[in-house]
Amino acid sequence: MTDGKAKFPELSASPAPEASGLSRRSFLGHAIAGGVAAGTSYLGLTKDLYAQAGGPIYIGNHCELTGGFSSWGYWHDKAAKAAVKLVNDGGGIAGRKVELLTEDTESNPAVGSRKLRALIERGGANFVVGSVHSGVMLASIPVATELKTIYFSAGEATEATGSKGTRYSFRTGTDTYGLAAAGAPWAFANLGKTWTIISPDYAWGHSHYQEHKAVIEKLGGKVHPPIFVPLDAKDLVPYLAKIQQDTEVLFSVFFGAQSVAFYTQAKSMGLEKTMRMYSICGTMEAIAPADLQGAGEGVYLVENFPRMLKFKDDEFHKKHNEVMEIDDVDAREKTSTKVMAKSHAWQSWENVFALKEAIEKSGWKTKKDDLLVIEALEGLEMANSLGHPQGAKLLRKEDHSGIIDCYISRVIDNKFEVQKKVTREELGKAMPPRVDLSKMPA
Amino acid sequence: MDIVIALTINGLIWGLIVALIALGLSIIFGLLDIINVAHGDFFMVGTVLGLVIAGTTGFWIALVLVPLLGFCLGLVIERLVIRPAISSASLTIVITFGLSMILQEAVRATLGPQPRRMAAPVEGTIHLFGIDYDVYRLFAALFAALAIAGFFLFLSRTTLGTWIRAVRHDRETATALGIPVTLVCAFTFALGTALALLGGVIAAPITTVDFRAGIDILPVCFMAVVIGGLGNLKGTVAAAVLLAVMEGVVSAFADPTMARISSLVVMSFVLLARPHGLFAGATR
Repeated sequence: MTDGKAKFPELSASPAPEASGLSRRSFLGHAIAGGVAAGTSYLGLTKDLYAQAGGPIYIGNHCELTGGFSSWGYWHDKAAKAAVKLVNDGGGIAGRKVELLTEDTESNPAVGSRKLRALIERGGANFVVGSVHSGVMLASIPVATELKTIYFSAGEATEATGSKGTRYSFRTGTDTYGLAAAGAPWAFANLGKTWTIISPDYAWGHSHYQEHKAVIEKLGGKVHPPIFVPLDAKDLVPYLAKIQQDTEVLFSVFFGAQSVAFYTQAKSMGLEKTMRMYSICGTMEAIAPADLQGAGEGVYLVENFPRMLKFKDDEFHKKHNEVMEIDDVDAREKTSTKVMAKSHAWQSWENVFALKEAIEKSGWKTKKDDLLVIEALEGLEMANSLGHPQGAKLLRKEDHSGIIDCYISRVIDNKFEVQKKVTREELGKAMPPRVDLSKMPA
Repeated sequence: MDIVIALTINGLIWGLIVALIALGLSIIFGLLDIINVAHGDFFMVGTVLGLVIAGTTGFWIALVLVPLLGFCLGLVIERLVIRPAISSASLTIVITFGLSMILQEAVRATLGPQPRRMAAPVEGTIHLFGIDYDVYRLFAALFAALAIAGFFLFLSRTTLGTWIRAVRHDRETATALGIPVTLVCAFTFALGTALALLGGVIAAPITTVDFRAGIDILPVCFMAVVIGGLGNLKGTVAAAVLLAVMEGVVSAFADPTMARISSLVVMSFVLLARPHGLFAGATR
């Protein structure tokens, strides 16, 4: 925990029974008594937490401060903290102060699910704004469901609001299903009809392949067999060499360092001269095209939130940039060289405000009222505002997915120039719900 | 067939770069019996220093300066971190693991967590058996080959090189003959570190500069060291090149992931059939 009150006393080491002179019988007696005392004190603590209907509301901040996703996690953490400060400055939620409890998932699914349990069971988080790492997210949803705690995730694997979604899992941003629905038809019409998809060999890449293949083939296009790259591959030439010559659109899905390696090596092989490079926002998230030294030039990608202010030029976007301390062109932090993970980190900001709206609408007081918050979130309409600077959106009742405006941009002179805005109405029509989580038991 | 030849050549080129890094790991293990878990992070530091120095003074200066800085860094680490723990092999694993985390977090705290690209000093492509091939890779392979050749010449033709070989062969006898063993150990560790940093600056324009860059390269280097024979320097170079060529050729026919699996299968087979490495018994 890095924020909030210090609730957890350090575990003290007990001497071995032999060392302290206890007999086996008295040791067992003490152990049982200790267990009963610990159990009842835990129950007492829990009861105390949930009985304080007028005390602070604890929101868990489950994010990637270290590990492979730390360049994104930094911004999710900053956005969540900024949102909580704004909420508290405005009087809190239903008059109650909000405290943020932060846990680092280390970009590791096993660690992430364990830390989520700690956030809820030991930290007493009432709600959680969660991970952007798809693996962590998918490992955490069962934990949140088991502990009956509302969990907002920001990862893109469609399963979180699909086959592995539950009544407790929500996502205000897009998933692979949404990104394919938003961008693939435009890319098919404008960039080319024969596609090759290259991606890392794990759930996120496979999910993008399946969703995009379905859209392109439905439109009458051709998709070559996918090229899945091991996550630890540094030399990508063996994989790039397998791209077929008749490819018109090379759809790539990478993140972080492998994304930079992909653009560097694809450029050095001159691939952009013979095919159009198309991708999604995650590929250049937290990366400035200028830092790629020309390797990202000409790439098309789908953004969730335009990196440049001028493509959503309103007071809320401007204020958001100001609070996040980023410039209005590259989204670079004014006090460092870091570039904001702008297409994803807004979710950590907006999810706090979505919770505020749902809690106040439902009259939530204690954990026993959680179902009321879930019902308030299902179908929640959020207006373009400082709480929702990405824009107006719907948290769809059936699949708990955010239906948002998306932007298809192109890197021109190291800037993300929007080529087309896909409205939330268009997106909603293009991606009908495939599950109905609202009918699942809470 | 063209693609097979192209990927074989690419494997040879990439293998030479990996061999340079693995060589540092192998010489440190061969002399000091240290399994240096931080070796990948030395490579990472090489990419970072390469980016910073090349950004201010140019790539060619960085190519000379970075290994020299690596040598100095190696001397400091050997004195402050390795030497106090040298008596216990298990402790050196723990201590180099800690060193690895310190190096990563130090770079993350200063450079930031975002990955970066380092521009190559030579740009352009040549048509190579059906693919457009990056010219810089040919230069990178040439630098790596020259560095490897220079390293073996140093070992066989200089007094210090002879001392290193003597200490590797029999430490007690070397001590009895008046060879300054402690100094040789420090020099060897620094040399291994310098090789990793040199590998970093050569590889940086091909791969990425980021604080986790060493994590992925370390297993490949370990595989080369294990297959080549622990501490067997020429075996390490041969194994690194062999692995990279094999991965390239296999990926021309099969799923790329199968190519990676094939490397692991080869390593398992070598461990079972020749526990001392594929080139055990070869001249060290």
